[in-house]
Amino acid sequence: MKPVPFSHNIADTLQLASKALNTDGSKIIAGGQSIGPMLNLRLVRPTTLIGVTRLEELQKIHIIGDTLSIGAAVTHARIEDGIDGVDLPPMMRHVARSIAYRAVRNKGTLGGSLAHADPAADWVTTMTALDAQLVIRDARGKSRREPMASFMRGAYRTGLQQDECITAVEMPVAMGQALWGYDKICRKVGEFADAIGAIVIHPDLKYARVVVGATEDAPLLLPDMAREIARTATAPSLGDIDSTLATYLPGASRVKRQLLKTALSRAIAKVIPS
Amino acid sequence: MNATVTPSVAKQPVSLIVNNMPETVHVTPRTTLAEILRDHLDLTGTHLGCEQGVCGACTVMVDGRPERACLTFAVSCEGAAVETVEGFKGDDLMDRLRAAFHRNHALQCGFCTPGMLATARDLVERLDTADEVRIRNELSGNLCRCTGYVGIVNSIMQVIEERRACGLPCTGTPRLDRAPPTGFAPFDADIFKQPSAPAVSSGTMTVENGWSVVKREVAINHSSDTVWAHFSDLDAVAACLPGAKLAQHDDSTFEGHISVAFGPIAAKFEGEGTYKTDDSTRIGTVSGRGKDRGGQSAVEGELSYTVRRAQGNPDASVVDVGFRFRIQGILGQFNRPELVNGFVDYILGEFVANCDSVLSGGELRYNKGISAFTMIRVIIAGKLRALFQRS
Repeated sequence: MKPVPFSHNIADTLQLASKALNTDGSKIIAGGQSIGPMLNLRLVRPTTLIGVTRLEELQKIHIIGDTLSIGAAVTHARIEDGIDGVDLPPMMRHVARSIAYRAVRNKGTLGGSLAHADPAADWVTTMTALDAQLVIRDARGKSRREPMASFMRGAYRTGLQQDECITAVEMPVAMGQALWGYDKICRKVGEFADAIGAIVIHPDLKYARVVVGATEDAPLLLPDMAREIARTATAPSLGDIDSTLATYLPGASRVKRQLLKTALSRAIAKVIPS
Repeated sequence: MNATVTPSVAKQPVSLIVNNMPETVHVTPRTTLAEILRDHLDLTGTHLGCEQGVCGACTVMVDGRPERACLTFAVSCEGAAVETVEGFKGDDLMDRLRAAFHRNHALQCGFCTPGMLATARDLVERLDTADEVRIRNELSGNLCRCTGYVGIVNSIMQVIEERRACGLPCTGTPRLDRAPPTGFAPFDADIFKQPSAPAVSSGTMTVENGWSVVKREVAINHSSDTVWAHFSDLDAVAACLPGAKLAQHDDSTFEGHISVAFGPIAAKFEGEGTYKTDDSTRIGTVSGRGKDRGGQSAVEGELSYTVRRAQGNPDASVVDVGFRFRIQGILGQFNRPELVNGFVDYILGEFVANCDSVLSGGELRYNKGISAFTMIRVIIAGKLRALFQRS
């Protein structure tokens, strides 16, 4: 299939990009690895695409004070390779390596994936687990920050307004030293995930977060389980995980719950020895 | 008057370097790199399979890295250096790979081969050692339907060894070593509560013989008499359904359309159907079918609702909603039932909020179609969650 006709502008500045977004039917395209298939299938029929990956400010990875900032247009492959002289959290490099395929990772971007907000995507769950903040800029050049844990509102629904664009993703540098576990279950390597489990523990920061992804919705935090794991330093039993999931996801099928339970228990096992 | 094509959608020049030759093609922005190569430069070695990034047949080198030519649009190719299977002249690694593919009988029909070679070259360059599991994982993005992976994997492993024997370094970063879990000392964690937790789903979503079946139970803060009076009036129901517009109807049939937007996906289904209501049982059924012209998809479905009094509260009622539908065509290809589930919850939430508002003598909250903006508004207000709390 071929996409519908559209015009395609490569933005020179972020401000111009955001302004162009105010037109009806316009859409930002970053790496285009999620929107591309949707365009080709004509599921998405925009009048204008605005390319943002060439904007230099969206390409930077740097540390300011105790905050690690990663430009929204940084590709998965760059994170996987970790070549920028900046220490990225090992969890991010691990996750990047398992996103789709290398040819897709060479173009797909971190910010694009978060803005697209596919529940089965790796970054939405990972960034929730790592307590990332999104830096978002509007057409007037005003910046605001929103925590990833509340940014995604549901499948393909986010806190982004029409004229807004994610410019960077920030997290505490200390997250690089956190204990972490991540497991995803796919039918085939590189496919959309059927279940994702993630855990990040940082005793010095008093930080503990347990997340399951690839549900029908935004990544789901399990705060009580996180508190309990931190308090006891032992892994919950499979039965405990199952009943917690049943409480939070009453509509989920048994198959889904089994997959999520398996992914989460495997993730936890990477942090806590059995 | 005929619609005019705006200049920006018209053809424009794109300059790129293909197999070391500068080329300029005049193409529309929607043209993909694969089409530029095949249709404009006659480099038909780049194959097109799925055109959605899954099969890998179109994989070519762009600025030295493998990319999907089917997901790369014209404008973003400006200034790019592209290497296709017809190129790689004098490329030592590619020469070795070609020889190895030949030696190992690493191709049968040959359809996947151009993409396989691009991926293989990247692997040979990037991987330090010939680790078979890793190579097979990395090849998952290039589908071969002739079960030819054995020869391909062997070729890649052999060329990696040849590269090492020549003393050429790999360009990739080494694998991250992962220490076994060590555990940690117990501590009291500061726990973050999700501000807008996902709505608790109050129903099920199943797939039966190709039909998606959604069952929901929703509470409405009005007496069952009032709710039934509202629900048996088709005009009133349609007015509360986001994006719906009735063109005409009589006592049992209707025509109209419904516009939906789901993230970046938008569709407008035009169609007709029948409806009937039964005052004695307070059961209503609506069935219909519609077509989305722009997206060439079709939907058919059946909606049933039963209005009953809420237990212990005469001023409240419960509506059992059953929705059975089937999507065919392009939208159907994207059929991920779980996502539909969340979407149906959202539409129902809006619908119920509208009904509540109208029954209270208020105005429709929104009925121009569904936009991300309203979704955000509703969810920020926490209404969705309140609506779906189990009664």
